[in-house]
Amino acid sequence: MFSSLQNPRQAAAQLLNFGLILSTAFMMWKGLSVVTDSPSPIVVVLSGSMEPAFQRGDLLLLWNRNLFEETNVGEVVVYNVKGKDIPIVHRIVRKFGSGPDAKLLTKGDNNAADDTELYARGQDYLTRKDIVGSVVAYMPFVGYVTIMLSEHPWLKTVMLGIMGLVVVLQRE
Amino acid sequence: MHSSLVRIQNAFGFFTTVAFVVAALIAGTDFLAPRTPSVGVLKPTNVQVVRGRPHYYSSKKEEYAIIRFSLDADLSSLFTWNTKQLFVYVTAEWPAASASSGSGANATNQAVIWDSIITSPSADHLANLGPIAKKKLIRSAKGKSIDPSRGILSLKNQRPKYQITHPSGKIAEREDVVLRLHYNVQPWVGLLTWNRDADIGRWKTLRDNVSKKFSFPAVKKKE
Repeated sequence: MFSSLQNPRQAAAQLLNFGLILSTAFMMWKGLSVVTDSPSPIVVVLSGSMEPAFQRGDLLLLWNRNLFEETNVGEVVVYNVKGKDIPIVHRIVRKFGSGPDAKLLTKGDNNAADDTELYARGQDYLTRKDIVGSVVAYMPFVGYVTIMLSEHPWLKTVMLGIMGLVVVLQRE
Repeated sequence: MHSSLVRIQNAFGFFTTVAFVVAALIAGTDFLAPRTPSVGVLKPTNVQVVRGRPHYYSSKKEEYAIIRFSLDADLSSLFTWNTKQLFVYVTAEWPAASASSGSGANATNQAVIWDSIITSPSADHLANLGPIAKKKLIRSAKGKSIDPSRGILSLKNQRPKYQITHPSGKIAEREDVVLRLHYNVQPWVGLLTWNRDADIGRWKTLRDNVSKKFSFPAVKKKE
């Protein structure tokens, strides 16, 4: 690092490289968003309401296009409720009507009651536009890192510290 | 070139690549295992419609259908080494009041009346059960990592888990109601799969999973 200070060309190349990695990751994320038509195509499970199928920290891949059929009863969907910013992963258990205005009711497999209590005040059902995507694929544990980082902010400091230390101590 | 940071990065990168490839291979084996689920019996045995309130503090009265049913099904072929749990559910489906051309496939009202989580022995420790029931469940498949016998369902005059209603609050005397059996296979890693109307490779479709048409009766009078 210190040596690169004397060589501005190398420093610039390093900076560009770093920028390239960041923008590639961002483009892949947004590209996946376009393909799946979902604002957040990969979500991390935060609660145990779908246990034993999904535990905290599991990674879910979503799909939000209705190419062949509508979103139906039995599908596990991620939805947003007005006024709450945490998306919820639950299963559709009732559907009345069809098309974009169909009334949908959801319930967590591990919960005794349906989700009416979780919805906004005066809201009894979801509609298609509340849904961010249906779960199509599952990968265990991988998302636990993000939960650790958001629940224990000191871990971020420790990680940054270690990285800084490695950079400083490293001799090229 | 060979600083400790680069070494750690390389080791971590290689580890994630291997982990993802192995996970993809495991997920791929799902398509090699044949699935031949079958349904023997699916029929409503006792249907009642009662009036009630959606919750204790509500003054609104709604009609609720209580559908008892019998089910015989063999879903044992859905249990493989990558199966974490099987979610089995029975829906009642009926067409909207105005459209009379209702067949089960075009049903516009659909509600789950009963469901069940069947864990694979490898996922028994995750099941949401009391300590005694869980111990019993784990002991029932001791030494086995796959227990296909759990996929054999035999229910006689089963009470529904959910009493269903319609947003309009009216459900009595609706016609062309059918019961339908569905399943959802939850893997340890890979794709979630549901029953499909057509065969996909080695996965046979679930036949006879729809009951004969029946009607909801009039509201039961209080004696």
